[in-house]
Amino acid sequence: MKVLNQYSALALLLLSQSIANAESGINQATASMFSQQEQQSTQDDLWGDDWEEEDETLSPWQSSGFVELGYGRFSQNNVTPSQQSMAEIRTQLALKYVADWGNINSKTDLLVDDVTAQTEFDIRELNLTLNVIPDTDVTIGRQVITWGTGDYLFLNDLFAKDWQSFFAGREDAYLKAPNDALRILHYQNGITFDLVYAPEFTADNYLNGERFSFYSPMTKSIIAPRNFPVTTTDKEQFSARIKTTINSIEYALYGYKGFWTTPTGQLTEGVNAGKSYFPSLISYGASIRMPFMGGLFNAEFASYNSTEDSRGTIPTIANGQLRFLLGYEQELFTNFTGAFQFYLEKTKDYNAFKASAPMPDLIVDEHRQVLTARFTHLAYQQRLTTSLFAFYSPTDKDAYIKPSITYRVNDQWQYSAGANIFLGDKQHTFFGQHQDNSNIWLRARFNY
Amino acid sequence: MNFITKYTTLLLLPISALVSAEALTVEQIISKANIASYYAGDDGRAEARMMIVDQNGNKQMRQFSILRKDIEDEGQQKMLVIFSRPTDVKGTVFSVEKHIKQDDNRWLYLPALDLVKRISAGDKRTSFVGSHFYYEDVSGRNPNEDNFTLSETTDKLYILDATPKDPTSVEFAHYQVKIDKTTFIPLEATYFDQNNKAIRKMTVKKTQSIQGYETVVHSRIEQLSDGSFTEMQFRNVEYNLQLPAQIFTERSLRNPPIKWLK
Repeated sequence: MKVLNQYSALALLLLSQSIANAESGINQATASMFSQQEQQSTQDDLWGDDWEEEDETLSPWQSSGFVELGYGRFSQNNVTPSQQSMAEIRTQLALKYVADWGNINSKTDLLVDDVTAQTEFDIRELNLTLNVIPDTDVTIGRQVITWGTGDYLFLNDLFAKDWQSFFAGREDAYLKAPNDALRILHYQNGITFDLVYAPEFTADNYLNGERFSFYSPMTKSIIAPRNFPVTTTDKEQFSARIKTTINSIEYALYGYKGFWTTPTGQLTEGVNAGKSYFPSLISYGASIRMPFMGGLFNAEFASYNSTEDSRGTIPTIANGQLRFLLGYEQELFTNFTGAFQFYLEKTKDYNAFKASAPMPDLIVDEHRQVLTARFTHLAYQQRLTTSLFAFYSPTDKDAYIKPSITYRVNDQWQYSAGANIFLGDKQHTFFGQHQDNSNIWLRARFNY
Repeated sequence: MNFITKYTTLLLLPISALVSAEALTVEQIISKANIASYYAGDDGRAEARMMIVDQNGNKQMRQFSILRKDIEDEGQQKMLVIFSRPTDVKGTVFSVEKHIKQDDNRWLYLPALDLVKRISAGDKRTSFVGSHFYYEDVSGRNPNEDNFTLSETTDKLYILDATPKDPTSVEFAHYQVKIDKTTFIPLEATYFDQNNKAIRKMTVKKTQSIQGYETVVHSRIEQLSDGSFTEMQFRNVEYNLQLPAQIFTERSLRNPPIKWLK
């Protein structure tokens, strides 16, 4: 309760400051309009600061960052320890050193989190990029890596995701968790060769009961365990991509050797028997992206081979999958964009999967399908962004709706509000199990 | 005397014919203006900043560097825009492959997500990073998109009227552009709606001769309906740097070519 009071006090402080800022902005503007009338020719007041003086290109060091306050609550009772889905103050400091030979890049977050009652020092990026080898960039260290063509749907991108951040309504950038890896990008004749080696596996920040509840097939109920028993692996991960653009069409091939990034297996023997774990996974795929009818069309395919259960007969290990995606995006009206996706996930060896499933009536459809729609409206010099993203699965009969509104007051202040709404017929389906996790959230950010 | 007059008339005749031949056609004016505005030199670099001011006087700033390389004059062109300010767009890189006979290709790199986002061609008359400049104002509107007529010629200006060939693709019904007769820089462009009401106006506030190329170093676009506007300034403009073609690839999105930005 005390912590909460502190939060609201801080929120009020932030709010009053920004209102004061906005007001002084208006005053400045009226002042500058007057001076504009008086001396139309100079215009110096408009720019205020002197460009010549703050010549940051001369310094190889760059720094920036933000302070953000986030608050969210479940819209109904949840079995989680806290009824808050987000209650945090995050401070980020980004430092970059840029030179001809490459750069050093760091982004560090200090997170005071009231949901977990913890203060975390979170290094999001800490890496060294070298471009001394011709046509090659090498990045070593903690880094965020993204590829593939899906929008909130991932097929060939098996780099770590932070689903807790996504469900809580944190900024989109936090959907991607960082990886400790060596990335080599080589450019030759218009072809990009992209190789990522992670000496130690990085799992998703999946839902584990800490913040959000989920369905347990064992207890046939929604649970939020205090300790989700998982055993992880420290083995390596390889990811590769080859990409090129020919006549405006982007083509890419992908490969991955590592593990499922969520604990889709359960150990049946040994000291860790009963614990969930990350079974090994090999995948390959391809994608294209191209202009089409004034918009953009994309298609992607991936084959997931669950190598520890290649015939799909072991009930405690996820079966392999074939994943397909079709997408189209277009500006429908001025400043209003619509984007649509069709996603299909085919479970391999479905008959074996069904035969060995302990609860055959709860298993996923052989051809799980998801339709998504994203509508984005921009107004007031793109300062007001209204967005709606919706997932709907006709096979699971469930949905996940993410509305949000972001108002950028100026270059420093930004406010956002939104919701994560889960709907479903059944308690066990992909989105349906999260109905109690439905939440609304608010964020205020100050950039410096 | 008569004899002489006859001869002089004869002599003068071809000269006056020459003068009328030198009067430029509309196509030639547009072509020269296009080259002067977007194709100066074989390549170029500039630092730029924009001040975006809304109807209430609230200001926003954008600061970026631009690298450009022409594949051919009035033809294909490649461009990189690397943002340094403000904080939430810092590190964002915008890349354009300009084509003449097909739609331009545009990508936006968002560093926090390591995401290479493609921008659809239909968005060309969408605001460039929240400013009153459209994507098309930054990379240049294809002259083939409009029909031009010369409405007036003054001592200093060519005044042309332009009507879009595809009126559904743009927010204006027609526009008027005033082009400097000596430098061919379009100094002013006013866009009108169906009711012939001026809705948007571009004004060049300052030009400067750099390496012999007349260059716009300060311009302004105003939304006439509400008085909101964006001003753009350039500095450290340099032409003919012999920029290598390889820097205009996906590589530079993640790793901007620092050597060419200094």
